[in-house]
Amino acid sequence: MAEKVVKVSKGKGGWGGPFLLQETETLKIVASITGGGIHPVAKKIADYLGVQAVDGFSTKVEPSQMICAVIDCGGTARCGVYPKFGVKTVDIIATSPSGPLIKYMNEENFVSGVTVNDVIMADGSAPVIVPFVAPASDAKKAEVKPEVKKEAVTKVVEKKKEEAKKEMTNNNQNPFVKAISSIGRAVGGVVGVFYQAGRESIDIVIKNVLPFMAFISMMIGLITVSGLGNVIAEAVKPMSENIIGMVVLSFIAAIPFLSPVLGPGAVIAQVVGVLLGVEIGKGNIAPSMALPALFAINAQVGCDFVPVGLTLGEAEAKTVAIGVPAVLFSRMITGPVSVLIAYAFSFFIYQ
Amino acid sequence: MVFFENLAKGFIGIFNAGGATLVGLITGILPTLIVLLTFVNALIALIGEERVLNFAKFATKNIILRYTVFPVLAVFFLTNPMCYSFGKFVEEKQKPAFYDAAVSFVHPILGLFPHANAGELFVWTGIASGILKLGLDIAPLALYYFIVGVIVILIRGIVTETLTKLMWKD
Repeated sequence: MAEKVVKVSKGKGGWGGPFLLQETETLKIVASITGGGIHPVAKKIADYLGVQAVDGFSTKVEPSQMICAVIDCGGTARCGVYPKFGVKTVDIIATSPSGPLIKYMNEENFVSGVTVNDVIMADGSAPVIVPFVAPASDAKKAEVKPEVKKEAVTKVVEKKKEEAKKEMTNNNQNPFVKAISSIGRAVGGVVGVFYQAGRESIDIVIKNVLPFMAFISMMIGLITVSGLGNVIAEAVKPMSENIIGMVVLSFIAAIPFLSPVLGPGAVIAQVVGVLLGVEIGKGNIAPSMALPALFAINAQVGCDFVPVGLTLGEAEAKTVAIGVPAVLFSRMITGPVSVLIAYAFSFFIYQ
Repeated sequence: MVFFENLAKGFIGIFNAGGATLVGLITGILPTLIVLLTFVNALIALIGEERVLNFAKFATKNIILRYTVFPVLAVFFLTNPMCYSFGKFVEEKQKPAFYDAAVSFVHPILGLFPHANAGELFVWTGIASGILKLGLDIAPLALYYFIVGVIVILIRGIVTETLTKLMWKD
């Protein structure tokens, strides 16, 4: 029978991978270190490879024997331990690398958010499942012929799934222990989601928000102390204290050859936003003008990103070719219009 | 000598003023932002993209909903920049218009839901800080920014869709 290779990809919101798993001379076991029995993902990998899945909590498995370790770690200890040992790690919780062992984790040895559907045969073939039989009875190993009809194979898969489920529930004989571990898993799952959410928040704060704050702060320091602020205020004031200036500003920002240049990272819009904010705070610009200003300084939003955005939406080449100018020209109309609408609404606030 | 003293004072003064601004930003914005980001990120993870999509799909057929409800849901749940991937659920000729609507909403949403585009906060935060400095409440501005944003993306969607169709014939 041909070498069996299983491909494991990251699941929704997951990280890392995909990587291939296969049995070798030394690596023989799929370890499930998830608590409460063998996890269906571990079971499926083992079934596809025709190897043994072992519950790492009830039986100690040497990392040197693991084909892979299936874990349910929300991101501190376990997710780094196995990569450190050089064991390919499949995390069923969508976690990005973290914890003290983060430096050992990479896309070749760690994949997260994995569900049963993310485990497939590497060559895309329908899996030929050979139930693992203990080595003693190796001779009796049931061979399933490759030319077995696909229907039959699917049936086997279905059956296997059911068996896996059954096994999951039968793993702990004691119903009390079973209840405790399933409650623990549910709580762990929710806690894991919140923990990961916190990590994402801190991540974006450190990578995006704080650097921009540092940049903005330095700029404001420079502008206020150097007296440059007064110069800018004089220049900005006529533009932003009456509605005509704002409409003109939005029209300029939306000119098709300027708008893609002004767009990237919204840096220019953000800087102008901060400058106008300072002027509003000083009383040089009326607070009621804040709403139209928000639209006037941002008529170019996303104009630098049209081809990428369309590609994300799986647009065809023709759509991109037409879509880019369509969006850019549309802004010449809708940029000033957005300022006028905002101006109409500005009469409801800060009067 | 006095000249150099003044120069040194001015030099460090720039960074003292900058530092004071930085502390203001960190204590004023970050704590609430981090907790709110965490909450919304968790909420999105618990609800799941698939459920949002199943709910949002109904909105693609009608031109009004297509450029209001659909992009708003996309931006709220998928955030910038993954929200544009919802473009695959509208017709080919509507994709530029959907992109235009979605991308135009990644700032107006920030007053109420900063998680959607936390990397580009300062278009909103910059102007809002001026309002705060005057001792005014920013809630009305945040609300109207959102409402006007929805109206604007509807108009942008319709205009861009029309332009796309006109250019398609050429």
